[in-house]
Amino acid sequence: MRSGGNKKTRSVTRRDFLKTSGVVAGAAGLAPAISAPFVSRAMAQSKTLSIVQWSHFVPAYDTWFDKFAKDWGDKNHIAVTVDHISENDIAARAAAEASARAGHDIFGWNGGASGAHLYRKFLVNLTDLVESTAKKYGKPTVIGTQIGYDADTKTWSAFPDFYINYPAMYRKSMWDEIGMKPDTWDNVRIGGAKLKAKGHPVGISLGHSNDPNTTWRGVLWSYGGAVQDKDGKRIVLNSKESIEAVKFVAALYKEAMTSEVLSWDDSSNNRYLDSGVSSLILNPISAYRTAQQVNKKMADDIFVLKPPKGPAAQIMGAAAGFYGIWDFAKNKEGALEFLKYYADHWPEAFKASEGYNNPCFANIVPKPMPILSNDPTSNPPDKLSVLQTSDEWCAAPGYPGPATPAIDEIYNEFILCDMMSKTATGQASAEDSVKLATQLSEAIFKKWQQRT
Amino acid sequence: MAVITAPAEPVVRPVSRFRFVLDRRGVLGSIFIAPAILYVLLLVGVPFLLALYYSVSAYTLYDPSWRFVGLGNFEQIVRNPVFLETLGNTFLFTFGSQLLGLIMGKFGALLLLRPFPGRRIVRALIILPWVVPIALATIAWQWMFDSLYSVINWTLIAFGIVTRENAPNWLGTPSLAMLCIIIVNAWRFFPFAIVIFLAGITAVPQDVIDAATVDGAGFWRRNYQIILPMILPIVAIGLIFGIVFTFTDLSIVFLLTKGGPGEATSVLGFEGFQVGIVSGDVAQGAAISLFMLPVLLVVVIGMLRFIRRREI
Repeated sequence: MRSGGNKKTRSVTRRDFLKTSGVVAGAAGLAPAISAPFVSRAMAQSKTLSIVQWSHFVPAYDTWFDKFAKDWGDKNHIAVTVDHISENDIAARAAAEASARAGHDIFGWNGGASGAHLYRKFLVNLTDLVESTAKKYGKPTVIGTQIGYDADTKTWSAFPDFYINYPAMYRKSMWDEIGMKPDTWDNVRIGGAKLKAKGHPVGISLGHSNDPNTTWRGVLWSYGGAVQDKDGKRIVLNSKESIEAVKFVAALYKEAMTSEVLSWDDSSNNRYLDSGVSSLILNPISAYRTAQQVNKKMADDIFVLKPPKGPAAQIMGAAAGFYGIWDFAKNKEGALEFLKYYADHWPEAFKASEGYNNPCFANIVPKPMPILSNDPTSNPPDKLSVLQTSDEWCAAPGYPGPATPAIDEIYNEFILCDMMSKTATGQASAEDSVKLATQLSEAIFKKWQQRT
Repeated sequence: MAVITAPAEPVVRPVSRFRFVLDRRGVLGSIFIAPAILYVLLLVGVPFLLALYYSVSAYTLYDPSWRFVGLGNFEQIVRNPVFLETLGNTFLFTFGSQLLGLIMGKFGALLLLRPFPGRRIVRALIILPWVVPIALATIAWQWMFDSLYSVINWTLIAFGIVTRENAPNWLGTPSLAMLCIIIVNAWRFFPFAIVIFLAGITAVPQDVIDAATVDGAGFWRRNYQIILPMILPIVAIGLIFGIVFTFTDLSIVFLLTKGGPGEATSVLGFEGFQVGIVSGDVAQGAAISLFMLPVLLVVVIGMLRFIRRREI
């Protein structure tokens, strides 16, 4: 017999629980169906366009771009959203969106490797857009073609947006003191050794990040070496020129740098220069812009040169930015229209980036270029004018051939960085380092040839 | 005259058969456990099978085809001259950090067993490394190991132990870089080890310890010949978690060293991510990741057998 008298107790039975949870689950399931007519009516009021791209090193650029995109959306009754993600997250994000066949309408790639060519089967053909832009603003530059053009299909899978160059930035007073100018790689080594003795070493990373991947490619090319041939069909790394380049890097490390560079990330050389220690780095002008903010006097002493000249060429690696439209984008027409509009307003983007984004079409920013030819914040104002010629001395990974998935993987595996650092730290001879790097690169090439 | 009315017959409602089915414990239990099983099947089983298939296919982001290539991906990986180094690094990183984490956990637990003012707060704070997002923690460690502004080097120089010229290059010297990632992972793991040790030690009957003390067992003998053998099964469970999580981890390496210098800290998880996601060769990335499977299977089965024997 149950007891309890007047005291009412209420317990939840298994049946009650199931009933209640059934009702709740049912209601939750029906909610979208009930609200759908209202939601869809609200959604139908405007189309949407979503863009994802990196968080720019110049924060003011993001502010400008977000407003630019929103204003375009307002004019065209399209709700535009712009998401900014870290440069390190771009590859994973692109892979996720492509695999899920869902995400943003426009994807902005940025960085040294893993670009639009990897995703060409997921992207809208942008040949018409690039050709019409080229008609108006001149031929795409070498780097623009490398990153967006697919020679096999003769189509453009990406719209080349900009590239970031890596000029030499040096402390003029220090180099004047030793009576030298870091305009050749030999001068960098000889002058760097003198300045290292005075406590001002050269600072070029030998770690695993974009900067060394880009800079050491430039040195390799300057010495006449390359990873692949012009057609991108064959690995040509194991050459006398490559060995000479590796020997030079080892000498530069021993004579003009310190072991600190072995673990640097992309911000370390900026800090090294801005702290007043380093006599020279190779980097985008963000390092100089930061110096202007933290120490104007020192910034006035930082001068900008073309990358040093090697025995074979004066050329340097660069990191490119480019846009693609997913073939699963919900608003492909809107995305295409936005990119057309953006191309027509590219000089504004150039100004907003403070000269950091360099043009991928020959005449899209006519010379003399604003800011670079006359920068009121710099002393002298034409300090950055040499950057106007950077299309002549910049190339993307893969040079003299195209950027391909195999070239990307060689980049992402830091094979060239390790080739240089192993010899620099005495772990292997220049010949052995080049041999190992060639072996690894050939295996990657062979694999991708089987994949495509 | 009173009229006696017959009591009303209780209304018998027809009872649904479903109601009785739900009353069976076995059936209801299965219904309750079904979401968990479904969850595991969908979020663990399906991706695992997918990874198995990817590893024998030619699937890339460049050409997302499901062409079967047999064991070709595994063959390419084994032929890679630096793969063995990556595999060795993974073992060193995993077992090195677990060993260090266990030692720190054991001493931490012994310290936290003793009463002292603020012990509760310390017990709560000590769990922080376990709960702090690893990305944040690793950035803090990166600054401590930074080649230019390392606070560790600054301290060593301030105390005159090293000079600026011969200060250790934590992330730039291969052996030190490996030590750094081991330290960071051990630091993350040790609060978990403390909790495991505390749970084990407090479960040891006090009379056993008292009897050992009466028999003349000192601190070391009590700890390592009486308490430790008794708590080994629970420590082994913690260790299984630690090994599985560390063996498959890529975050510390990705954030701290990107596998460098050279290939000194490249581990399987990082390599799989670089090849499979960053470079878009999903098939080979999956194959690299699957190299972890046999190793983890052997370790987990071995440890579970050990635990079962200890319990018997």
